[in-house]
Order: sequence, then C-alpha cells, then structure tokens
Amino acid sequence: MIESSHLPAGGEGGRRPGGDARVPKTAFNHLVFWFLFAQGGIIAAILIPVHVLIQGILGPLNIVTVVDRHYDTWVSALGNPIVKLYLLVLIAAPFFHFAHRIRYLIVDLGFKAGKSMPAQVVFYGGAVVVTLITIWVLLTTVPIGS
Amino acid sequence: MSTSEANATPREYPWRMPANWWTRSRHYFWYIVREFTAVPLALWLLWLLVEIKRAGDGPARYSPHGSAPFVIFSVVVLLFSLYHSFTFLSLAGSILHFKLLDRPVSASVIVMSQFAAWAVASGVIGFFLVWLGR
Repeated sequence: MIESSHLPAGGEGGRRPGGDARVPKTAFNHLVFWFLFAQGGIIAAILIPVHVLIQGILGPLNIVTVVDRHYDTWVSALGNPIVKLYLLVLIAAPFFHFAHRIRYLIVDLGFKAGKSMPAQVVFYGGAVVVTLITIWVLLTTVPIGS
Repeated sequence: MSTSEANATPREYPWRMPANWWTRSRHYFWYIVREFTAVPLALWLLWLLVEIKRAGDGPARYSPHGSAPFVIFSVVVLLFSLYHSFTFLSLAGSILHFKLLDRPVSASVIVMSQFAAWAVASGVIGFFLVWLGR
C-alpha cells in the first residue's frame, strides 16, 4: 500500500494510484500553521532584537536605565494592561514560528520523526502551552492596575 | 505490464541524506543556522518570562539578572536574532506581491518597507524600555 506521504503534496491536480481524479481540498491545517509561522516570524524579527540589546546587554551593563532593572518600575509597567498584551504577543507568537522551524530543523538533520503527528503535537502543543503559561504569568504576577 | 508486476508492492526510496550534509556547503550551513536561530531566541524569551514572574517575589527578593554569563548569552542571542531579522525580512520581497494604483510594488520597495518598520519599531520600543525605567 502506498502511504499518503509518498503522493504529491497538496492534494490537487494529481490522481490516485487507481487512476481516478483526486478531489481538490483546501489544506486548512497548513493555512493556520503557516499563518502562525509567518506572524510569529515577523514579530520575532521586528521586536526581539531591541529587547535583547537593551534588556539583555545595555541594561545589565548599566549603560542605560531599563524598566526591568528596578522592582518599582518593572511592577508599574507590568500592571498596565497594554504592556501585558504587548508582552503576550512578544513572547507567545514567536513560539509558533519556533515550533515550525525547530521541527523542520530536526527533519533536515535526518530525523524523519519530526514530520509525524506526535512531533506536531509536541511542537505546536508546546507553543500553545507556552502561550497559556504566559497568560497565566501575566495575569497573576502583577494584577492589572496594581 | 504483467499482472504480477502491477500488483507488486511499490518500491520505496527512503531518504538517505547523510546527517552532516549541511556542512558541505556554505549555503547549506547558513540555511541550518537560520533554522537554528529559533533555539536561542526561544531560550531568551523564556528568560524574559521568568523575569516577569520574578516580579511577583516582592521588592526585597527581586534582583534583575546582570551577571557576565547572562550578558554573554544575550550577546550571542542578539547575533542570532539579527540574523533571523535580516533573513526573514529580506524574504518579504519574494513572498509579498501586491499592487498599488494598479502597478505592482517592486520587491526592493517591499523589503525596504520591512526594514523601515523594523527600525521604527526598535526605536519606539527602545524608547519605552528606557523611559519606563526612569
């Protein structure tokens, strides 16, 4: 029996081994994950470098004052709902991009299991878990308006 | 084709690329580096999440990370981060196709707009990170 993975990708324009025409089908799963991959990638590209530069290098070296270097300023910022929403997007969205990239990195390095359904559940599920943890941390660490 | 040939189990041609294929060409190597950028970036964002969680420890116990190993880690992450940004934003010219006043926008203009957005966003976020820390 020929496995579906050996057939042309996309589900359109091909024929089944028996000769009958294949029914065109929209790949909604691909649509969702490619959208999340692209959005996570653009957010990671545009937002992360400046955070790493300022919060990870310039702040710790005391070259500039940074919001998370002092408890009062950090808590004050974290109590703002707009900051919470921004941090949720900043942290959670890139993980859907990372999940896709790391999964295909594993495949590219020869581990075909990266294409399996369990691997997809682990990687994309991991991104969902990070999202849920981020929401929980943002809502419980410093309540809105405190 | 005989009946026996038609019913025979299809031959499989499993992927046999050696695991170190990406070391054989500079282009392959940088492709894998681009894919790998996800790992250090993910680690740094998890650190940021921990930094947020630590704000719940109270003023007496809160002390921001500032050790030399952390700064070195951040420098390494910044290099990967910049590589991700350059490669991802440069791809926009190949991915995005749209028209403006019935004329197609050129790839170079699209790429420049992405880099301009990156510069503006970095300036605004950098300003707030410093301004909110006063």
